[in-house]
Amino acid sequence: MSRFGMRGAALIAAGLAGTLAISACSGQSLEGGGDKAADGQVTLKVNFWGDMGLDALKAAYEKEHPNVKIVLNSGEYNAQHEDLQKKLVAGSGAPDISAVDEGFMVQFRGQADKFVNLLDKGAATYESKYLPWKWQQSKSADGKQIGLGTDVGGLAMCYRSDLFKKAGLPTERDAVSKLWPTWDDFINVGKQYVDKTGKKFVDSATNMFNPVLAQQPQGFYNEQDQLQMEAGPKVAFEISMKAVKAGLSANLVSFQPNWDQGFKKDQFAVLACPAWMIGHIQDTAPDQKGKWDIAAIPGGGGNWGGSWWTIPKQGKNQDEAYKFVEWMIQPQQQIEVFKTVGNLPSQPALYKDPAVLDYKKEFMSNAPTGQIFASTAENLKPQYLGKRNGPTRVAVENVITRVQQGSLAPDSAWPEAVKEATKAANS
Amino acid sequence: MTTVTAPPPGKRRRREIGRAPQDTRGNWSTYLALTAVLALSAFPLYWMFVIATSTDEAVSQTPPSVVPGNQLLTNLREVFTMQDVYFTASLINSFIVASVVTVSTLFFCSLAGFAFAKLRFKGRDPLMFVVILTLTVPNQLGVVALYILMGKLGWNGTLLAVIAPFLVSAFGVFYMRQFILNSVPDELVESARMDGALTLRIYWSIVVPAIRPALAVLGLLTFVATWNEFQWPLITLNGTEFPTSMVALSDLASGNYVIYRRVLAGAFMATIPLLVLLVLGGRQIVRGIMEGAVKS
Amino acid sequence: MSLTHKAPPVVPQDSEPHPPATPPKHKLWFYRFDTKRTPYVFISPFFILFAIFGLFPIVFNGIVALRTWRLDDPDRNGWAGFDNFERLLHDEDFWNALGNTFGIFILSTVPQLLIALMVANLLNRKLRGTTWWRVGVLLPYVTPIAASTLVFAVFFSRDNGMANWLLSLVGFTDLGDPLDWRAYKWSSWIAIATMVNWKWIGYNALLYLSAMQAIPKDVYEAAAVDGAGPWRQLWRITVPMIRPVVIFTVVLSTIGGLQLFNEPMLFEANPAAATGGSNGQWQTIAQLIYKVGWKDLNLGYAAAMSWALFLIILIVAALNAFITNRLGGGRR
Repeated sequence: MSRFGMRGAALIAAGLAGTLAISACSGQSLEGGGDKAADGQVTLKVNFWGDMGLDALKAAYEKEHPNVKIVLNSGEYNAQHEDLQKKLVAGSGAPDISAVDEGFMVQFRGQADKFVNLLDKGAATYESKYLPWKWQQSKSADGKQIGLGTDVGGLAMCYRSDLFKKAGLPTERDAVSKLWPTWDDFINVGKQYVDKTGKKFVDSATNMFNPVLAQQPQGFYNEQDQLQMEAGPKVAFEISMKAVKAGLSANLVSFQPNWDQGFKKDQFAVLACPAWMIGHIQDTAPDQKGKWDIAAIPGGGGNWGGSWWTIPKQGKNQDEAYKFVEWMIQPQQQIEVFKTVGNLPSQPALYKDPAVLDYKKEFMSNAPTGQIFASTAENLKPQYLGKRNGPTRVAVENVITRVQQGSLAPDSAWPEAVKEATKAANS
Repeated sequence: MTTVTAPPPGKRRRREIGRAPQDTRGNWSTYLALTAVLALSAFPLYWMFVIATSTDEAVSQTPPSVVPGNQLLTNLREVFTMQDVYFTASLINSFIVASVVTVSTLFFCSLAGFAFAKLRFKGRDPLMFVVILTLTVPNQLGVVALYILMGKLGWNGTLLAVIAPFLVSAFGVFYMRQFILNSVPDELVESARMDGALTLRIYWSIVVPAIRPALAVLGLLTFVATWNEFQWPLITLNGTEFPTSMVALSDLASGNYVIYRRVLAGAFMATIPLLVLLVLGGRQIVRGIMEGAVKS
Repeated sequence: MSLTHKAPPVVPQDSEPHPPATPPKHKLWFYRFDTKRTPYVFISPFFILFAIFGLFPIVFNGIVALRTWRLDDPDRNGWAGFDNFERLLHDEDFWNALGNTFGIFILSTVPQLLIALMVANLLNRKLRGTTWWRVGVLLPYVTPIAASTLVFAVFFSRDNGMANWLLSLVGFTDLGDPLDWRAYKWSSWIAIATMVNWKWIGYNALLYLSAMQAIPKDVYEAAAVDGAGPWRQLWRITVPMIRPVVIFTVVLSTIGGLQLFNEPMLFEANPAAATGGSNGQWQTIAQLIYKVGWKDLNLGYAAAMSWALFLIILIVAALNAFITNRLGGGRR
């Protein structure tokens, strides 16, 4: 009888040993704990999403500061912001440093008391270095500065020159830019492409909606935080519907597995490119080096996305965290990030820096990404993005996805978008 | 000639009919059907393995590939080195959580089961009824409040939060009580008491040895169930550096770069320990379920 | 109330422990203490832990449901009366999720239990390698739902998915215009129900099998006079005889099915979204509770939804047990 009991225990022990052995093989040790260890060792946990080019920075900083260990935690864009909100209210569990995107900044600057006021740490010296609006956007009503800007999302249009060639379209940057001064021209080019190749032109209508919305004088909300669907959002929505009706969209949902596969299977030929998108392309389709190029975006410049580094107050190593943040926003590091993933710095002096201006991105067919994006960024008129901007955007994107999935007719989609946006605004 | 050797068809049929199914030998169609059932049960697991061992190209081709590739180690390395997923830590965490919960469930539930089965005390039957009643309460009901409670205790985001709520189970108490009722003779308990043994001693030297098979069954079921727990760990552990393997899996599947071969390599890793348990302890698990082991 | 046919009666035989024969006097109080109090000590860990982590949250949940309790805006917290419940009645997301939950529930429970009966019937034979077959059907049961759901999520993907490929082989879909399983209610429900069915058929089959084997053999002999074939034998004799277990599995599947969370969560192309599709095509109530509580950060409202879910489960479980009982009873 006792055989069974012994065996049960033996099983669990065997399994445990097995997995421990496997884990040990992978050579990664248990990481955790943001606390100061006895030997003065400091661990800084940094939360962000996607790829912000931090891998190289982490290594360099840890080398310079042997007592600091940086733990990078990249998650999904919306989830990271929701998670930060949760932890702020819970009073514990927030990272030492957290990236916050412009889409969520208004929400967080309203809770400035939960973040370290970076002015107390001496951040005021950097005010003059930043684009004025970038500096203002992360400032609370009572004058606390909760974030130091990383990048801005100046807009351009990435395109596959190899696929353009097959379709008989021009492939030169300037010639391509001339194809589409307006979004209507863009849609016409798309029609030509689709007719010629039988393939789709854009990855997703949501990736038209977002840049067009970013180009409007007003986004989802006005400065009183009231939802304003009839202005900017309607323009952007109609253009994206036009593209769907013209059959241009591959109907892929961005940043999801089918989208990744879409890259590899040449399912689309253009992709709206805020500067930070280049990193995504590079990471998703590394073997398409030299096949992508960058042209101007239809409808003039605009800003889509761009982030700040913030330091939640509950962290135990605020001074060390500030030191790291301060280091990250120095020109040298900003340029490094720009080169590796394409994120465009938010300090205008850098736009004149030869290291940026003369930089050619090898992955993007040696496009002068510095020149292209710097010129868009300087003329930016930033939008006010309301407190509920994040959820509202997700809600409207979902309506567009429904249209692309075929479960909603493009012509009856707008009222639905208004309804969903209103729901998100009030949730 | 045929009429002589073969039994009359009518008679034969009747014999078959009168026989209980469990005395009827399975014929080829039974085996065929069972093989189909088994194949369908195993196919998703097999296919998980196929993708876990494949390249991106093999995953996205049509028709899908159905033979394993040779990329398992590459894919696993990627999974284990993804810093923000904490996959290694998650496997260890899952082992810690599942082991602690299993040991605690076995101990506390057998103690209570013994008391309910063999000891006399005031309020025993009403209390046992309460235990059975708690079996029917859907565990999701209290999730919001549990989250707030854990927040007050400062346990959210730690392993304590996913261990504490599962330390005991009403099912375990019920199961232990039933087993002890049947397998520990009253005389044995009484004679031990006459010899002056304390209750704890009786538990340890008489009850525990007698219920080892039940402990194995309950232990295996508890381990499997705890390992597979998803919703509550997701709520409390998501976004921390202490995920369980199920939370880490969901992280793997929801980053900005979701790569199927990597996701399923992770899924495969998180499944292996349980497959090992099934191979070694399958008989106990089957028995546990067939004896009315009901845990959803 | 016993949970299975095999379970012995809840009220046990009288087994009064005799006091120790002639204990030394100074130890007497100690023994008395031991027999009187130790049982409570033994059962107290269960009750204490259950009170803290089981009972208290449920009671407290009721309080939270009556309050505004936001994670993003704690300043707004305070008593809300029945506001949360009132909002629930007019919340189309809730009704949509309720519909989805029931749709998926029916699509998964009915086939699940029927097929489980068949499988149990297959296993209820004299077989070579009995244990082997039984362990085999448990493969899905031990597979973590998170892992298996992710496999199915790939299986049901629009581009390059195996499901679409298989259907194209029989001419059902066209690979040039593949079916987007996540786009429609019917297709997403089928996909999710498939996962649930796969997971639980073997488990239920074993429950049925154990009940089937407890049926006295002479019942079959007696019924043989009617000339029942194996199929009729199953429906006429076996199923009515295991009715208590069938009812039990129906109740169990109800409780589990109406709380469905893992499959719809991980079926999402982006599991962090918790919206159950672009238009909540397959968002279940449990998933909605998660979204409201931990993505919209509105815990008060989520708590109210939990209560609603609890009530619904109670009603449906009772109703199902009643119906199953009547159906089984009608057969005889």
